[in-house]
Amino acid sequence: MWTRFATQLQMNRWRQSVGEIQARQRQVTECERAQVALSKVTACFQQMASSLGSDSDGSSLREELAETRALAHKICTGLHRRLLALLAEGEQGQEREHVERMWVFLLTGLETFQKDLKKVGSLQEFFPLTQRKDRDTLVKTGTSGGALEIAARVATIQTPWLAVEDDQIPDMKTQISKMDSLMQEMLQRVNVPLWSVEAKQEAWVEDIKDEPDQDETLEEMMQVELVSQEGTTSNCCHHPRCKLGCILCLLN
Amino acid sequence: PVCPHSRVEALMLEMQDPASGVKSQTQRLVITTIPHALSGEPRLPPASRPLWRRHHAQAFGTVMVAFGYIYPLQDHKRLILKPDASLYRFQTPYFWPAQQWPVEDTDYAIYLAKRNIRKKGVLELHEQEQYNNLHKWLNHKWDFIVMQAKEQYRAGKERKKPDRVVFDCQERAYWVVHRPPPATVSAMEQGMLRLVDPNEEEVNRCIIFTQQCIMRPRVKSSVSIGALVKYTTTYKQHDPFLAPCLPSSPWLTDDATYWTLNMPNVEVPTKMRVERWTFSFGELLSDPRGRDDFRLFLKKEFSGENLAFWESCEDLKWGTAATMNEKAQHIYKTFLARGAPRWINIDGKTMEVTVKGLKHPHRYVLDAAQTHIFMLMKKVRRVSCVRPCRSVAVPASRRRPSLSPIVLRQQEEEQRAKMAASGPVDITQLCRFTAPVPHLAVYSGFCQSQATASPGVVTLPNSAACPSPISVAIDSTPASERRCDSHGGPGSNFPSIVGSREATSPAKESQTPTSRPRATLSLSRFLRRGCAASSVFASLSPKCGVAAGSGRVQPLGMEPQTLSQPRRSANFFQIKVDIPPECRIYPIDSEDEQESPGSAKGAVKEIICPWESITKQDGAG
Repeated sequence: MWTRFATQLQMNRWRQSVGEIQARQRQVTECERAQVALSKVTACFQQMASSLGSDSDGSSLREELAETRALAHKICTGLHRRLLALLAEGEQGQEREHVERMWVFLLTGLETFQKDLKKVGSLQEFFPLTQRKDRDTLVKTGTSGGALEIAARVATIQTPWLAVEDDQIPDMKTQISKMDSLMQEMLQRVNVPLWSVEAKQEAWVEDIKDEPDQDETLEEMMQVELVSQEGTTSNCCHHPRCKLGCILCLLN
Repeated sequence: PVCPHSRVEALMLEMQDPASGVKSQTQRLVITTIPHALSGEPRLPPASRPLWRRHHAQAFGTVMVAFGYIYPLQDHKRLILKPDASLYRFQTPYFWPAQQWPVEDTDYAIYLAKRNIRKKGVLELHEQEQYNNLHKWLNHKWDFIVMQAKEQYRAGKERKKPDRVVFDCQERAYWVVHRPPPATVSAMEQGMLRLVDPNEEEVNRCIIFTQQCIMRPRVKSSVSIGALVKYTTTYKQHDPFLAPCLPSSPWLTDDATYWTLNMPNVEVPTKMRVERWTFSFGELLSDPRGRDDFRLFLKKEFSGENLAFWESCEDLKWGTAATMNEKAQHIYKTFLARGAPRWINIDGKTMEVTVKGLKHPHRYVLDAAQTHIFMLMKKVRRVSCVRPCRSVAVPASRRRPSLSPIVLRQQEEEQRAKMAASGPVDITQLCRFTAPVPHLAVYSGFCQSQATASPGVVTLPNSAACPSPISVAIDSTPASERRCDSHGGPGSNFPSIVGSREATSPAKESQTPTSRPRATLSLSRFLRRGCAASSVFASLSPKCGVAAGSGRVQPLGMEPQTLSQPRRSANFFQIKVDIPPECRIYPIDSEDEQESPGSAKGAVKEIICPWESITKQDGAG
């Protein structure tokens, strides 16, 4: 009787611990997905921000920017909270290292993103689009428009957790200061020395396997169309040291 | 509208104006065409600035390219504006240089990783090196960097091809500006907002200061620790906290004799104290008692002015700022100028530097000269004073009641007054009052009275002492000088007669004041007579280089060759026991005495400096 009870207890405990482990694993996976999402969001944000102040700038771009940063904010705060919880209860070991890596990832991501936010904030001030004539001073950079494609990409990003705490888009300044406090808290509250984290990624990363086409480098893309005197075009790379091209041009 | 960050940015905006701005053309690439390319041809500048000349425009254009506001489409690593058909494009404001957006290494790592991901082997050598470095020290961020690089790459691909080309060009141009390839001149090294003219006075001073900081000598810790150990070893017996002191440590026994015996103006310094003087010249100088002795010694050597100069320098250094100018002037007039009354002998270069510095005097303007003199005096001391004193510390049983310094001074004043009142005294008479004492304490220095003597009065050695076993009365230099002065002779450094007193004299408070003054007055007369003859006197001394009859003794000061003569060593500190009853008074230098017409002949009482080597001089000239 007793042994059955004891076994039952043990089983319960085992189930409990398994349950705990599984829950914890779920949380970690959630955080990993959030990491990926954060990278995506910040990358898209940067692409959009590069159009600020150029002649492809506009109110739609700025709206998209605002929504993107709101999404980033959500991901950041959520990830922060979850990681904090994981670290608090964490035991030492492989898993803890993993969580610490994510922690450092988040910290770095916050730093980079906050930098971008500040830049965007000052650019938006410098190029106000309140009046019609403000568009005259937008810099002619040669781009035709950038918001829409990126925005589509942003739309595909989802926060891994369902509960949404705050639907409102925070004010730029508020967001920046909130991120500041987040980072401060991260640095002070959890004693994870940044340098103790070893990255999993290699130094020289292989090409992205999932890309369908191998892309050309910028140099290749920048091949200038050379129009000879007779009007025929020839593909000639306008490389300054390309003597072959010059010869061809001369011959044409 | 918001104020632009800089002139360049303002101009950038101006150039965009559709009416008055820069005309642009289309760049034709193989894959696409991209508008808004500019040419560097002299069609610039914008029409709104017709006054600009071409070369100004080109120079300014190059500045804009160098800082990254405009980037070249061809030859993208050379950031200059070429006045030909080369194409340029405006940089997007996100990539404008601005000091408030610092350029982060993390971003650079992401950029390099992105390019490497896109196509391996596309990084140049210096980029590869930097990439490896970044991997090393940004290692903890590497997960983020790689993931971000991938995502940025993917996001970039979402854009339309022409836009993508433009963005890539923009980004590449940004990094050429902020991470220039090796051996290129980077505008960023100067700093965008630095408006400093390197030839400005203030900047120059900053540069000089920094250079001097770099040149400051540094000491290895082993050396400095060695010095510390040496210091401790030398001084450890002299610290009453570390080693027992005689008669007893006042902190332990509440008996203040130790302090009494070591008062600054004590007549007889203790043995330990004198031993301390042998440690270094600085010790001697910093102890007022030692300095007194040294001062008198120097007087004997015709070089009291050195110590006086040194003291004046100290006074300047530690004095108030308000008096500095005045003091500097006084020092110059007294010691440094040609024909100065107490001219010190420093080498030409130091003199030049010092005089130059005195035009704008500050606290340390005399440092060079002071150091020189210090070294000089140090050499003197080392030559002459080698053997430590052998005085016995006053045993407790023979303790005298301590005298208040005030009382001491009062007594001295009284004595001086009495001396002034009394008449001249024959020198020989003095001898009667001084009897040799067989058991002499060997040390003796003498205490020079600190108080200023009134003119015409000789201050005697500390009147609390008993009669000197030596037949010489001590004079204080200032007094003797003043005496000479008062009798019409110009101030001279004529050395005073030096004597010494017995160390263990019992407490005889009063001397025979009357006799003393007379003796010294006659001495003064002698001296006075000698003041005229002093030049003769001095001229006979190998040291003096002043023509006779000038009335003013220009002591040559511490000429090295004279100093090195051991004969010149002071012989006043130690009293020889066997003093003939018929003692004579001699001016300090026995040699001089031999030659001077007025000097008394006879056996010389020798005063031997406790520090000197055994070779006692007979005073033969």
